[in-house]
Formats: sequence, structure tokens, C-alpha cells
Amino acid sequence: MENIDINDRIYEVGYLLVPTIPEEEVPGNHGNLKELIISYGGEIVSDEIPRRLNLAYTMSKVVQNVKSKFDTAYFGWVKFSMASDKILELKKKLDIDSNIIRFLLIKTVKENTIAAKRFISRDVTHKRVMFSKETELKESVPINEEEIDKEIDAMVEN
Amino acid sequence: MKQDYFSSNNIKYIDYKDIEILKKFINPSGRIMSHKRTGVTSKNQRKLAMAIKQARFMGLLPFVAK
Repeated sequence: MENIDINDRIYEVGYLLVPTIPEEEVPGNHGNLKELIISYGGEIVSDEIPRRLNLAYTMSKVVQNVKSKFDTAYFGWVKFSMASDKILELKKKLDIDSNIIRFLLIKTVKENTIAAKRFISRDVTHKRVMFSKETELKESVPINEEEIDKEIDAMVEN
Repeated sequence: MKQDYFSSNNIKYIDYKDIEILKKFINPSGRIMSHKRTGVTSKNQRKLAMAIKQARFMGLLPFVAK
């Protein structure tokens, strides 16, 4: 059991799909990639379906001696755990794929790495207090709504 | 003294996909800001530089902006 843990590392592959693929087929391509990872004994930790974005600069890719340039692409990523000896095979497979303009295969951590959008930069404790208040409010709201509805109904009937 | 942005916001792993954060640390022409300007610890500055370079490779950030 310990050996497996040592060999299993968390990786993340970010990739750009060619913009010539129709929008409907993009989730299919993403699914294929996930299946490929699973077929190499990987376990998906988290992922994001590719979405179209304007590239910061023009990229080119040569497929069968034809050089094509891209200004937009679909960017998606998958975070997964995989044995370290299998990752090279996966990389080779991704290199061949003609739908991928380029990809980035990196080691990462299991935790969610994208930070929350809004920060309260002063102190964390203050932020926590605010969050707990918000949750309390959310919990209390539905009960109030039901009560209000009942009250309104009673008033209407009267 | 400027405080380290990443430790004050409790960010342990600097992700290349988080462009909104990374954009704060590049200047208008797209270059990575110096350690002196960012006020980030040396350890995080290295991670930051790596993340910006990865984002550039994936076309999320420019190598040179006009």
C-alpha cells in the first residue's frame, strides 16, 4: 500500500484544442482525454471543460507538413493522480494528438489551487467571521420564506 | 515595507490558470515585475515567475504586450 502511495503523484494537464472543432464536440474531446488518463490507471481529481478564449499571441502547429496558425483556442485542464512511470506514455500519446495545439503537463497538489476571486487582504479571521454570518443568514432565509408564505396565505383567505 | 501578497492571502500554491492574480505581477509591456517591486518573498517570487512562464506558454498571458 505504501509503495502505491509513493508512486502515485498528482499531475495536471492543461491543453489547447484547435478552434476548428465545433463547440458541441468539445466536451466529447474532453471526455476522451479523461478516458485516456483512466486507461493508464489514473484517477481524475478535478477538471474543467474546455472553453474558448483568445490567445495572448498567435500560435502555430504543423500537422502533416501543413502549418496552421491559431488566434483562438479551447483551453481545458484535468487534474489527476497517476503512477510516475505511466506519465511518459501519456505524454507520448498527447504529443501525437492532432487536435491539441499544445499542452502543459505539470506536477501539482491535490487541493484546489484556484484562489477565491475576492480577497479581504487584512486578516483571515475577520473573513471567517463574515462567512459564518453569511451561512447563518442563508440557513435562516428559507424558514422565514415559508413562514411568510403561510402568513400571506392566511391573510388572503381572511 | 510591502507585505507578501501570497502569504497574506493564504495562497500556498501559485496556479498558472489564475490569470487575474498573475496579471498583478506583470508590467504593461508584459514583463515579470522585479522582486523589489512585488515585495513577494524569494520563495514565492520563484514560484510566481514559474507560474507566469507556464501561463505564457499556454497563451493565457503575453510574452510581449504592445
